[in-house]
Amino acid sequence: MSGKKITPGRIESRLARLLHVGTGVASVVIGAGLLLSLFNQPALLPMAISLVTAGIVLFILLPILRVMVMFTTYLKERDYQFAAAAAVVLVILFAGCAVGILSK
Amino acid sequence: MNTETELWLFAVSVAASALGGMLGMASGIFIVPILTIFGHLDIRIAIGASIVSVIACSCGSAAPFLKERLTNVRLAIVLEIATTAGALSGVVLAGVIPTPYLFFIFGAILLLSAQQMLAKRREPALASAPPAVGCSTWQLDSTYPDRELGEDVAYRVQRLPIGMILMFCAGLSSALLGIGSGVLKVPAMDSALRLPIKVSSATSNFMIGVTAAASASTYFVRGNIVVPIAGPVALGSVVGALLGARFLISISNDRIRLLFVAVLGALAAQMFLAAFGHGFYRATT
Repeated sequence: MSGKKITPGRIESRLARLLHVGTGVASVVIGAGLLLSLFNQPALLPMAISLVTAGIVLFILLPILRVMVMFTTYLKERDYQFAAAAAVVLVILFAGCAVGILSK
Repeated sequence: MNTETELWLFAVSVAASALGGMLGMASGIFIVPILTIFGHLDIRIAIGASIVSVIACSCGSAAPFLKERLTNVRLAIVLEIATTAGALSGVVLAGVIPTPYLFFIFGAILLLSAQQMLAKRREPALASAPPAVGCSTWQLDSTYPDRELGEDVAYRVQRLPIGMILMFCAGLSSALLGIGSGVLKVPAMDSALRLPIKVSSATSNFMIGVTAAASASTYFVRGNIVVPIAGPVALGSVVGALLGARFLISISNDRIRLLFVAVLGALAAQMFLAAFGHGFYRATT
């Protein structure tokens, strides 16, 4: 690798941090739940399941959060065309949740 | 939760994701066949677990690509309109499509992956290409730092409409089968948009998370994501992806490539057998 340092743009570093930290938190939450379940104690089981569920929900929310961050960043930078693209993606993502609730 | 099953799921996901990561493939394409063929799980439950692990792997591996400016985030958000719309259609379709068809389509996608692994990817034409039609209203052209050349390389995004159509199909199959659909995104980005390979890999990986989230949220609300199965699979995939990245094997290594072509072919055969009601798969419905 050459020694030349690459400086990422503002939006890139912001998204990198969000995804890195988000993955870490969600993984730790799922890992904690799985560890708890390994004890095989009926008393701990409900907590173990809620922890793993929370971790899974965090993972599903993480990309949605990522699009929200892109939306607000583009809006702030007055880059309305790309803010609109992010808004459309968000609408589709929320429509997905709505479809789930309706077809339950 | 059963401790033994949990550990098995975790171990299998680590292995699948590490192997996939070594070859620069998503683990999803391996997870569903393994869970159905060897774990005898219902394919819909396997898809629900796999889609969560696809999000986890995409988010977990995005940061380095973003920091190296390989990911074209502007292009990603535009293409994500198509992939998420495709995912939404896939989710609706998944609710009505009979199970044997799912096995059949999955087998076809596995064959397509095998074929793609056999064919080497070629670097497409860069900025010297003529101005593209249909992209003028979107400022998507960009540069990326090439480590070997030690300088920024400019590239142009071409034929956006065809790219959008292919991305819609990628999103649809991602939602339907619980995979990242890199196998459909790669041709879209290489042959339609004509992106440099590093940019297309990074950008496709970046988009996979959002695409998968569009269907995962629906599957979760519908109750198709079974927590005791999806949990160990997601965590195992993240761990496996970290391991795989450490032992990155060059795809140019022909023997390993052929081995994987054989594995993909064998899994495809199993999925086709299951589609016609044979094979190791036992219906659990």
